[in-house]
Amino acid sequence: MNDPVPQPRDPLDALFALARERRPDTSAAEYAFETRLMARLRAPGKIESLWAKISWRMIPFFAACVLILAVWHAEVASDTHEAMQLAYAEDPDSVDLWNNLN
Amino acid sequence: MVSAESVTPDEQLVEETLFGNDRAFAELASRHKSRVFGIASRFARNPAELEDICQEVFVQAFFKLRQFRRDSPFEHWLMRITTCKCYDYLRKRRRDGAGVSVDAMLESGYEPSAPENPVSHPDLERLYAAMAQLSPKERLVITLLELEERSLQEISHLTGWSVANVKVRAFRARGALRKLMEKKP
Repeated sequence: MNDPVPQPRDPLDALFALARERRPDTSAAEYAFETRLMARLRAPGKIESLWAKISWRMIPFFAACVLILAVWHAEVASDTHEAMQLAYAEDPDSVDLWNNLN
Repeated sequence: MVSAESVTPDEQLVEETLFGNDRAFAELASRHKSRVFGIASRFARNPAELEDICQEVFVQAFFKLRQFRRDSPFEHWLMRITTCKCYDYLRKRRRDGAGVSVDAMLESGYEPSAPENPVSHPDLERLYAAMAQLSPKERLVITLLELEERSLQEISHLTGWSVANVKVRAFRARGALRKLMEKKP
């Protein structure tokens, strides 16, 4: 049985192999990393600043909510009087109550 | 001889961290920092960026520790966070400086991904510069597959993409990288 003909190596694969061999040396960057990390985690105001950031970003949302509620309330308030009159008028038992209320 | 009892399992350190023991988390960081730095160094352009990515990884791990489910090792969970952070970082970089050619990057003194790497090989510099031009998804998948030698299943787990999706992206990334590399200076 003949040996399979060796395929020429893809130059890209050769480059990848070279890149794998020359792994970055991160030992200097890793030095005392825990100390720096814990200092950052213990830094005051980390969580507060996060909440502050979220709160500021939510301002447009809350402003839109207030605007929608205001418009909705204005429309509902104008319709309420007529709607209540109609509702009570359709219900004979509540006519007296309606009159008493007015 | 070090007894097995002297090594506290990761899961116990996680529990202790959740009970407010910061030293336990420092121990976790100490144990796993090499892996995190190893992956992040494939994406960062300089030591400052590398430090930023790694700190972001561990800060997120610290604040989301309650979401860690014990059905897989802590390291796997941390590697997922690392992958996500690297991907976010690539997307951010893409937004900041897309559309620069390989040659322009090399001429402008572009630092290949390895922060402290003795990358003196011109072909490697060209490879890194070409990889920097890939889309974030392509860059991520080709780095994990070819440089970190992760399997398709592992990449699927790390990225949350399906195995088929990883395959397709890897294939496209190779094609794109080949085209970029073929452009002679």
